[in-house]
Amino acid sequence: MSANIENIKQNPLNDKQLLKGRSKNVMQKYGILLVLLFLCVLMWILTPHFLTVTNLVNIVRQMSTIGIIAIGVTPIIITKGIDLSSGSLVALVSVIVASFAQGNYPLLIPILMAVVVGVAVGLINGTIIAKGLLAPFIATLGMMTAARGAAMLYSDGRPIGGLSESFKFIGQGTILGIPVPVIIFALVGVATWIILNKTKIGKYIYAIGGNEHAAVTAGINVKKVLILVYAYAGLLAGLAGMTLTSRIASGQPQSGLMFELDAIAATVIGGTSLFGGIGTIGGTIIGALIIGVVNNGLDLMGVSSYWQQIVKGAIIVAAVYVDSRKNRTK
Amino acid sequence: MENNYILEMENITKEFPGVKALDNVQLKVRKGTVHALMGENGAGKSTLMKIIIGMYTPDKGRMIFDGTEIKLTNIHDGLDRGISMIHQELSPIPEMTVAENIFLGREPTTFGGFIDRKKLTSMTLDLLKSIGINIDPNLKMKELSIANTQMIEIAKAISFNSKLVIMDEPTSAITEKEVAQLFRVIKSLKEKNVGIIYITHKMSELYEIADDISVFRDGKYIGTERAEKLNKEDLIKMMVGRELTQLFHKPKSKFGDVVLSVQNLSANGHFQDVSFEVRKGEILGFAGLMGSGRTEILEAIFGLRNPDQGEIHIHGKRVNIKSPQDAVKNHLGFLTEDRKLSGLFLPLGVGDNMITVHIDNYVTKGFLNKNRIKSDCLKKKEQLLIKTPSLEQAVANLSGGNQQKVLLARWLLKNPDILFLDEPTRGIDVGAKSEFYDLIFDLANQGKAIIVVSSEMVEILGLCDRIAVMHEGHLAGELTRKEATQELIMHLATGHSLDELDNKLEVMESILT
Amino acid sequence: MKFHKSIVIILSLIVSLVLSACNRGEQVAGGSDSKKVIGIAEANMSNEFITYMIDAMKEEDKKHSSDFEFVYTDAQNDSAKQMNQIENFISRKVDAIIFNPVDTVAAVDIVSRANEAGIPIIVVNRTFDGVDKATAYAGSQSIESGLIQMEEVAKQMSGKGNIAIMDGEMGHEAQIKRTEGNKEIISKNPDMKVVLQGTAKFSRADGIKLMENWLQTGEKIDAVVANNDEMAIGAIMALEEAGKLDEILVAGIDATPAGLEFVKNGKLKVTVFQNATGQGKAAIDLAVKAAKGEKVEDQIIPYELVTKDNVDEFIAKYNK
Repeated sequence: MSANIENIKQNPLNDKQLLKGRSKNVMQKYGILLVLLFLCVLMWILTPHFLTVTNLVNIVRQMSTIGIIAIGVTPIIITKGIDLSSGSLVALVSVIVASFAQGNYPLLIPILMAVVVGVAVGLINGTIIAKGLLAPFIATLGMMTAARGAAMLYSDGRPIGGLSESFKFIGQGTILGIPVPVIIFALVGVATWIILNKTKIGKYIYAIGGNEHAAVTAGINVKKVLILVYAYAGLLAGLAGMTLTSRIASGQPQSGLMFELDAIAATVIGGTSLFGGIGTIGGTIIGALIIGVVNNGLDLMGVSSYWQQIVKGAIIVAAVYVDSRKNRTK
Repeated sequence: MENNYILEMENITKEFPGVKALDNVQLKVRKGTVHALMGENGAGKSTLMKIIIGMYTPDKGRMIFDGTEIKLTNIHDGLDRGISMIHQELSPIPEMTVAENIFLGREPTTFGGFIDRKKLTSMTLDLLKSIGINIDPNLKMKELSIANTQMIEIAKAISFNSKLVIMDEPTSAITEKEVAQLFRVIKSLKEKNVGIIYITHKMSELYEIADDISVFRDGKYIGTERAEKLNKEDLIKMMVGRELTQLFHKPKSKFGDVVLSVQNLSANGHFQDVSFEVRKGEILGFAGLMGSGRTEILEAIFGLRNPDQGEIHIHGKRVNIKSPQDAVKNHLGFLTEDRKLSGLFLPLGVGDNMITVHIDNYVTKGFLNKNRIKSDCLKKKEQLLIKTPSLEQAVANLSGGNQQKVLLARWLLKNPDILFLDEPTRGIDVGAKSEFYDLIFDLANQGKAIIVVSSEMVEILGLCDRIAVMHEGHLAGELTRKEATQELIMHLATGHSLDELDNKLEVMESILT
Repeated sequence: MKFHKSIVIILSLIVSLVLSACNRGEQVAGGSDSKKVIGIAEANMSNEFITYMIDAMKEEDKKHSSDFEFVYTDAQNDSAKQMNQIENFISRKVDAIIFNPVDTVAAVDIVSRANEAGIPIIVVNRTFDGVDKATAYAGSQSIESGLIQMEEVAKQMSGKGNIAIMDGEMGHEAQIKRTEGNKEIISKNPDMKVVLQGTAKFSRADGIKLMENWLQTGEKIDAVVANNDEMAIGAIMALEEAGKLDEILVAGIDATPAGLEFVKNGKLKVTVFQNATGQGKAAIDLAVKAAKGEKVEDQIIPYELVTKDNVDEFIAKYNK
């Protein structure tokens, strides 16, 4: 390197500016956790029944279905995509899994069916989007309608009951006192965290969301990554559908209504940017818990369901507002 | 009392939380002159401009406009008083016509409240004629070239009857010929006694157009001089606070084997029948006007677009590159033209931006080896002198020069044999430019084959060992560094062959008028 | 080139899908000879109760297939869509319309349009203010189910106790009328009061959630009265898990096969049977008569109380 370059003094103003920007990021990172803690304290003050072990376990278990879906949707939103089909996919998986959970099939068969159906639907979404045929919003909107129709067709629009006891364990059982859905939720969370933070594909996901054009130029196989991301979301929606089916001991073509929006809400509340490139699994889990705490707390206080919807809506809008501000200040 | 100045800014101070962006600065712009504003990125130029147009309010200081002290609270305030700005990034509405764009929100209306199209067209024609531009007011903006879009932005600025026009790097996206047209317009503005503040990074045009030059550094005012009294060396010293003995190195004459050889490459509608080769350690420049196919050739070689015919050989072997993945496998690297559009992952950290291409190397048993990533990235950060507090810092918060270095680091980690640099120093300041040139020479000395595309003549002439000139998709000619001159390159780039050099005078004229 | 190819593939895929979907439809609506046409506008074919009603209708319409053509449409719970479907029936001049309203307010308008066109319109399953303008009504009175359900709950609780009401999707006719019926009975029993009320959207999963949260409130609950069986089953599952099903009585409405199973094993104490088969048959019957120009009258199909004592006869109905 030539001598005159080393002569350049670092610009102190600029560095200070940069450091400032960084500490702000830390605030943003933990801000959402603070919101959750604040809500918990608020609920604890407002109702004495909130802070009990049973109730806290309830909240996590109640949110595990949405939470699992949201964890799958997070990588999609990081790539600047969207998945509107997850709720309908839950219904489709629900009826198919239920029909294989009756009678004497071994437990492995319904689980396998959940995985196969989830991944297959995700692959269709991903392929349509990656090949550039349709924008994610439209492609998954179509799948949302089609998968719901398929669920109705498969089940004649009726619930499928008579599920085996072994299958019910997935949604109703406990291991060491922890409900199985919570364990699935946690495992899925850890696995996805590892994928996003410790693997090549994780880095690619952030890169594509940060700038798809640049990702192509940097030699990333963007199509392949997108297909995988949507397939993964399908897989998790499938697992969520299976857990829900077991929990309610019935395969229902009407289940999962609006789940996709709850999952997207949890993701966005958790700090994932709809503009792509930003988002964490920890944030999404906290986002799901925030929705769970609000639902649960309002139920405990006996707040009317009309008000519950308004409060939930306000929280989503506030979260997205903060998200858009965050991007604007950059 | 007749006031000589259109704008006087006195003792302006502006603080943002934790940063003093402007520290007691001043600026005085004479009527009917071009006042150039120089300074590295982060010197405070754009903050001062935002104060002048009313986007920011200063914490301290006075602003005197046309003899009266004023306080602006918003941009409309500024526009009403006759202050307008042409931003570096143009923002036309592509589906609307030229006339509609210029008079957006101020359209003349008929009695019924409908837009008076006839009047709109005639108003636009008058306006354009007054600054000597000949563009059909009813064309849609999307049909115009970048240069003409720029002209329309200028017309729009003037249409507010502005007494002061601010131009922020107006030539960063246009070619030399179009610059000449812009300068004609500026001259006609001067004749109308309009004051112009002109921000640029380009030395050459500075001396052609500026009457006064003010220099800022680190939020402080350094000084103002008449352009004819300030020589280049002194100016650079004022800007970077140090001597800059020379921007470019001496040319080399010895090169290694041919690394990349392109034969008869064509992509219909973009370029035809292009053949060239680059050797180990050589820097090949591509010159030419905008749209002459320079960038498209690089994209075709790199697998970003499909060529219709032709052959590419790397290290003597024919290769078939269908995608950037293939290009990377074949030891190619590509620093693209627009770093924000196709280079940076803006929300991601510096480190994550660096490892994208080379990431396979850091995978052990499916997982990323964070320690090795960190140590390699830190090495590159030090080697390239990237100014960032940490590798986690979002790359969006870095200056243009540092962002460009991060992108270079991305490719250097992969260590390609052939490196394409498309407008490598666009929009970065003089200090960072010279650092970047040093890096490019270093890489060539290490034996990389480098292709540079640039619209800056000085850069092409200073950097390259050999210069290929494009004209409308054809390779118009090749010049060695010794024989190349600015005039010769323009001669080829405008479609003349070297045989017609007798008409050189004529050509010169066509360039200058 | 590539792009065009993929368009062709997609279009042909769509066409083949549409064709196969048509083939699966029992009757393709077409301008066939001299048969009379009856248009059937269903509110929501993905509603379980309605699917049973349609089964009965299709069973019944076979008897008239030599003289009549039956065209089924599904409004998918969208009242604007239903309006369009009825308009289509009117413009193709069907001989009678069977109308299963989505929206009980818009229904008035729909009936008057059919009347203006001189087409007999038979309202089925859901009633509304102004139903008397229709040619005839085949179905039950919604409020009745809430009354029957609560009366039996009151009887089993000897007229006293704390009640939690689980609402269906808010604003639905069934939710409004059933809860209204419940409250009418409660007001007649001074020792009974509503201590909790919330919505579980007619869904089992939401029923579980709401019951879990209710149990955490510490409020003493003696009975959970749900607008439908699915929510009641959800409540039962949550109560079982908490070990409290013995202390709390659960009641539902609809007597779905799943619901009957829970009545059979004693977990669901009360449900109310709405006779889907009866309603469907009556509707077809009335429509056929009206289309022939015969005079028709309302057919009220009564709700029937289901408890453990009589559950077997209802299970038998589904197993036919």
